[in-house]
Amino acid sequence: MKRPGVPAIVAAISAGLLVFAWSGLAQAPRAPQPPPGKPQRIFSANLCSDLLLLMLVPKERIASITHLAREPVAVLMPGADEGVRINHGTAEELIRDRPDLILASAWSTPVMRRLAAKVGAPVAEIDSANSFADIRRITRQVGALVGEPARADALVAHMDRTLAELERTRPSRSIEVVAWSSGTAAPGAGTLTDEIMRRAGASNLATRLPAAGYSSFGLEELLAARPAAILRGEDRFGRPSLRDAASEHPVIREAFRGRRLTYPESLYTCGLPQSADAVRDLRAALAKVPPGDLPW
Amino acid sequence: MVRRRGWLALGLALLLAATLLSLAIGRVWLDPRVLLASAFAPEPSLAWLILSEVRAPRTVLALVSGATLGLAGAALQGLLRNPLAEPGLLGVSAGASLGAVLAIYFGFSTAFALATPVCGIAGAFVAAAITLTVGRGGTLTMILAGAAVSGVMGAGLSLALNLAPSPYAAYEITTWLLGSVADRDWQAILLAAPFIAVGWLCLLLTARDLDVLTLGEAQAESLGADLARTRLLALAGTAMAVGAATAVTGAIGFIGLLAPHLVRPFVGHQPSRVLLPAALFGAILLVLCDVASRFIPTALELKLGVLTSLAGTPFFFWLVLRLRRTSP
Repeated sequence: MKRPGVPAIVAAISAGLLVFAWSGLAQAPRAPQPPPGKPQRIFSANLCSDLLLLMLVPKERIASITHLAREPVAVLMPGADEGVRINHGTAEELIRDRPDLILASAWSTPVMRRLAAKVGAPVAEIDSANSFADIRRITRQVGALVGEPARADALVAHMDRTLAELERTRPSRSIEVVAWSSGTAAPGAGTLTDEIMRRAGASNLATRLPAAGYSSFGLEELLAARPAAILRGEDRFGRPSLRDAASEHPVIREAFRGRRLTYPESLYTCGLPQSADAVRDLRAALAKVPPGDLPW
Repeated sequence: MVRRRGWLALGLALLLAATLLSLAIGRVWLDPRVLLASAFAPEPSLAWLILSEVRAPRTVLALVSGATLGLAGAALQGLLRNPLAEPGLLGVSAGASLGAVLAIYFGFSTAFALATPVCGIAGAFVAAAITLTVGRGGTLTMILAGAAVSGVMGAGLSLALNLAPSPYAAYEITTWLLGSVADRDWQAILLAAPFIAVGWLCLLLTARDLDVLTLGEAQAESLGADLARTRLLALAGTAMAVGAATAVTGAIGFIGLLAPHLVRPFVGHQPSRVLLPAALFGAILLVLCDVASRFIPTALELKLGVLTSLAGTPFFFWLVLRLRRTSP
């Protein structure tokens, strides 16, 4: 029997080492531990957490935010995203940014989550807010994750003061309104839009509709429902589309003259501490709606 | 003669019934008596608003674009002596949609209202010109050229909507690919109307030469038909009428194919006699399809093209089977 030569032994040992190293590599990212101290390279893959992040941490600690954030930021906090890198939620950008914390939405694909595990950063799933209670919870959650709980508390406290003030001065007259943009979807019960309307002193027509949550209804149904005012999500994108043409239909312009209000869409779809200001703005706008029933 | 008048009367009665149905039926049920009363008392009331600003423009648009498609289909079938010629299959509708999409989503139409019909017409003209030039020489080449042009125009449409700055553009792709007459206003219709009228006139002027063309191109020319003029009239008429109508409704399929074939058994196979009845039946068909799209209870309103395709495809099969039987 021939004894194995030295090269064979070396090969066996290095193969063993390789397997060992591989298993170590494979195991390391399986349970990502949040690094000690505050995260320094935060990657946000969710529009709503983009906005919260910009309010909570200094820009130097943000690795990148989504490309969707640019226009809402220009409306809500102009200039806050200057110099911040943008991402499109892709794997390449995750590798490029080498983040130590990833804020993702509940809809982030499993592939993205696996990739995040590979780069070794913890992924935090940020819910979307459907109420002011959600805003409180989510703002505090993000605050804790990024290591700025005090800032988050301050933002929440400010929001609560505004809300309490608004509660004290709630108008006695409640009018029925609807958020309608050419039949695509009218936010109904259980949405943040609905709570904003209620706190502003209005009732939401869409809660009367059979479908809960979001429902769609057309021009005829809108006219037949006779809301006192129509709210239109101010297109932060402001670009022409058919949907806009229908929202600007002459019958809407004529039948609801002086009763068409616009609102900043990002404050209604993304729960932010500033959503309390949206309540105040909506209440001021509603006060200007002519009193009484529709003239027709 | 008497028999033809009878069919014409039946057609007009059907048209009237379809129009009334379209005015009476909607997502909101209104008592016909209230609607009728409001029609004679034009003051802002729910019934009047819905009737005058929602249902009437919708009905008129369905009538006009249905008639346009029927007329254009009949003229093209006569010109090309090809039973499959139709604005949709020749890529004209897709071209018009592409033109309108470019005008609307990239802001030309906000700067200049006429941009939408004009771009729609330009798109239709380019598509029709390519198909007619490349596809000359027989049924097969024409259909292949039409498929190629439709494909490229459809791809251009998807590309344009994906590149459009509005985030809603991609959602509205179904409107442009399947067509819809819902929630359009009078202004858009009035803007397109003059172009459509001129297009109709061009198409009707081809009538005499279309008859002569049934004998073949050489024979037609020997009989004094100006074929270059006829081709130009049919091309320009189709581009103007279908282009302007499609710029408002999006591409609606099958009506242009269906209407001429439906009326031929009743009015005879002389192309000039098919033109007007085809327009009439095109209008009836589209209005009825639109009524059905409102009548079928779905969460989101059905698109017109869904129904015209559902109604048109079985007919297409029948046509193919008949061609297989009759051709050697």
